[in-house]
Amino acid sequence: MPDPLRTWEASVSDLTGVDRAASGAGEEKLLIQRIRAGESDLFYQLIRPYERRIYVIAFTIVRNQADAEDVVQEALLKAFTHLAQFRNEARFSTWLTQIAINEARMKLRKQHSSTLRPIDDQENDEGTYTPRNLMDWRDIPSESLERSEIRAKLIAALASLAHKYREVFVLRDVQHMTTEETADALGISTGLVKTRLLRARLMLRDLLADGFEGMFGKPAQFPKGTNPWT
Amino acid sequence: MDLKCEDIWAGISDYLDGDLEPLQHLAMTEHIGQCKSCQAVLEGVRNVVSLYGNENLFAPAPGFQRRLRSWLTERVEGPKGSWWGWVAAIGLTAALAASLFLAVVRDHSNPLRAPMSDPARQTPQQLVAVVEAGKLFHQPGCPVIHGKFRLVTPEEALREGYTPCPRCLGEDLRTVEQVTKPVEVGENRDSLGVKESPKR
Repeated sequence: MPDPLRTWEASVSDLTGVDRAASGAGEEKLLIQRIRAGESDLFYQLIRPYERRIYVIAFTIVRNQADAEDVVQEALLKAFTHLAQFRNEARFSTWLTQIAINEARMKLRKQHSSTLRPIDDQENDEGTYTPRNLMDWRDIPSESLERSEIRAKLIAALASLAHKYREVFVLRDVQHMTTEETADALGISTGLVKTRLLRARLMLRDLLADGFEGMFGKPAQFPKGTNPWT
Repeated sequence: MDLKCEDIWAGISDYLDGDLEPLQHLAMTEHIGQCKSCQAVLEGVRNVVSLYGNENLFAPAPGFQRRLRSWLTERVEGPKGSWWGWVAAIGLTAALAASLFLAVVRDHSNPLRAPMSDPARQTPQQLVAVVEAGKLFHQPGCPVIHGKFRLVTPEEALREGYTPCPRCLGEDLRTVEQVTKPVEVGENRDSLGVKESPKR
């Protein structure tokens, strides 16, 4: 006779997100084992939950759709051919993200080497960033994303950031990865992730501060000698 | 805790992400509540995080998923697919070869050509009669023989290009038709020492 309390606990436990995530990770490990054993037709099933993520990361680094698709294809092919090297102690998603970032950087490097331009500015992470002095902030509503010109403006603002800020911002605020996962994927410290994220957020806020119809940008007024922006 | 605006700017990310100690968080909340410009910084950053966190912002080009899947299938599943392709191709080839073989066998068991058009493959044991102007060799006494004839061995008649008469030597021809083994006609001819019909 099963213990009713234990059964009830088990059924509640089945509903928790933790269990579902663990079950998902278990399924993922099993899929990886089967693919390694030769069932290559399961590979698409394995990467399907991440294809969009990989695309967005690639797109924000190379900054155009066609190149981003190329990067996704090459990254996934590389993941398939190197699947034997994947160690289960790391998360598959983080490993895949690392590959995509490397592929995107390589693509960018090739393009820049052909035009003899530097890949990025050498902006220093040290020091504080002073945000623009504004009296107030009028929200850009999420609904406005339906307008293509708004989306284009947001994408252009992100694209104008140095790639070291873009990468951190995309992993943290677009892909909602944790600080630790972002640090793992980029091979940098969590402290550097936080510093770059702060700067990326503030820079984007300033870039978007003028709004799309000139509605923002009214400078704040301070009593004489108390303005922190001067 | 007395905080300056610079402290707020430096801690605004951690404040939003809930990564601050409770006391520090409280101190920042107090400052932001009294500072319009820091409030504008906080609201701006919060707006940025909210806007870019929307998954529709970076929608790939239409057909991306289909293109990716097809590309991957071609390269990743390709080796497996081509293995099956090879199996199918080998099977098909074997089936074609078998049907060709059967067709050849059938062709030999049911010839489209008349029996007398083929040279004899099995010759009679006794002497046969040939007429100089004719093309057939016969058993002596065959009603088809017209005119003066001479007697020769069947081998000689074959060498000279005569073929067996289907009327008197029909039995020999039928015996030949029962042979079902597909053999090259030329090869068979050679083994029997048969030559092409003489040009007369």
